[in-house]
Amino acid sequence: MIAGGLTAGVFGSLLGLGGGVLIVPLLTLVFGLDLREAVGVSLVSVIMTSSVAAGVYLERHVADLRLGMRLELFTAIGALIGGSIAFLIEERLLALLFAGLLLYVAISMLRSRASEETQPETPPGEAPSYEVRNLPLGVVGATGAGVLSALLGVGGGIVKVPLMHLGMGVPLRVSTATSNLMVGITAAASAVIYVIHGEVDPYVAGPTAIGVFLGASIGSRVAHRIDLRILRFLFVAVLLYTAVQMLLKVAS
Amino acid sequence: MTGFDRSIGRLLIVVTYIAALLLLVGVLLMLASGISPLSGGPALDVSAITSDLASLQPAGFLWLGLLAVIATPITRVVAAAVAFARAGEPRMVLVAVAILAVIAISITTAALTG
Repeated sequence: MIAGGLTAGVFGSLLGLGGGVLIVPLLTLVFGLDLREAVGVSLVSVIMTSSVAAGVYLERHVADLRLGMRLELFTAIGALIGGSIAFLIEERLLALLFAGLLLYVAISMLRSRASEETQPETPPGEAPSYEVRNLPLGVVGATGAGVLSALLGVGGGIVKVPLMHLGMGVPLRVSTATSNLMVGITAAASAVIYVIHGEVDPYVAGPTAIGVFLGASIGSRVAHRIDLRILRFLFVAVLLYTAVQMLLKVAS
Repeated sequence: MTGFDRSIGRLLIVVTYIAALLLLVGVLLMLASGISPLSGGPALDVSAITSDLASLQPAGFLWLGLLAVIATPITRVVAAAVAFARAGEPRMVLVAVAILAVIAISITTAALTG
């Protein structure tokens, strides 16, 4: 279980994901946990990695604290809604939603690979100045991301990053950093609901969270030494395989 | 950007490392006493945490660590509220308070329905 969390953590940090998309299938398909229990554990792990990453981004002034806090008010509201309805809807529907999310992530990863080859890398250093536009769109999108996060135990970066970057005119690096910041409070708002409902098992959450935490630290250190294209291809394959497994589970 | 980003960032990192340490102790104690992760752990019982810590029960360390993890982002919002208040930005203080209110509502509703 520690090893599984470790793998999810390494993958997640290398690809800029919280790791939730890997933790939930790992716990349900490999360890046979109830989907809701897996989501609760995943939320805790996601908070941990996002807190450290957000801390580093804040120190380096890449994350936009003001924008992040304004949007996370709405992701938190979304999380409250999602966390509450998660206990009302059927587990098979949740699994179906999760499979849909996996497919969406896989497709958007394939597409981002295609666009990255044509675009030059953004130079490192201080974030460029920018004007935030389209705040109403951000509000709606953030609420949706919050619901998704709470229902499925993911950080929702895959929704929030394009939302801020493409929809609101925020630079990609700032979007990623700010998304990371928001994940913490979003997941915390729904994690408390899962804890109070008794869906978080400390014996599962402890080893998983430690694994993810260590994995994320390793991942961020070796990131520059790894060919991301191969990694991304592997990851897409894993996502597709997991989506099929989830669908089979729904069907049975 | 303002100077307090740095200290808030540092706060996040420090609290998370403390939480990780608590979880690590809990996991090591689990290994030491041969508890399987799938054996079904105890539900959260806040009153039991102190006695579990004193008697080196893994559940005490694990729960304290998990609560610290969940509290980390909440602490960050509180710290930001204080920082914005000092910087004279009442609108951002209001946003921070609203976020905390949403969390409070989510805890209350879960406690009432759970």
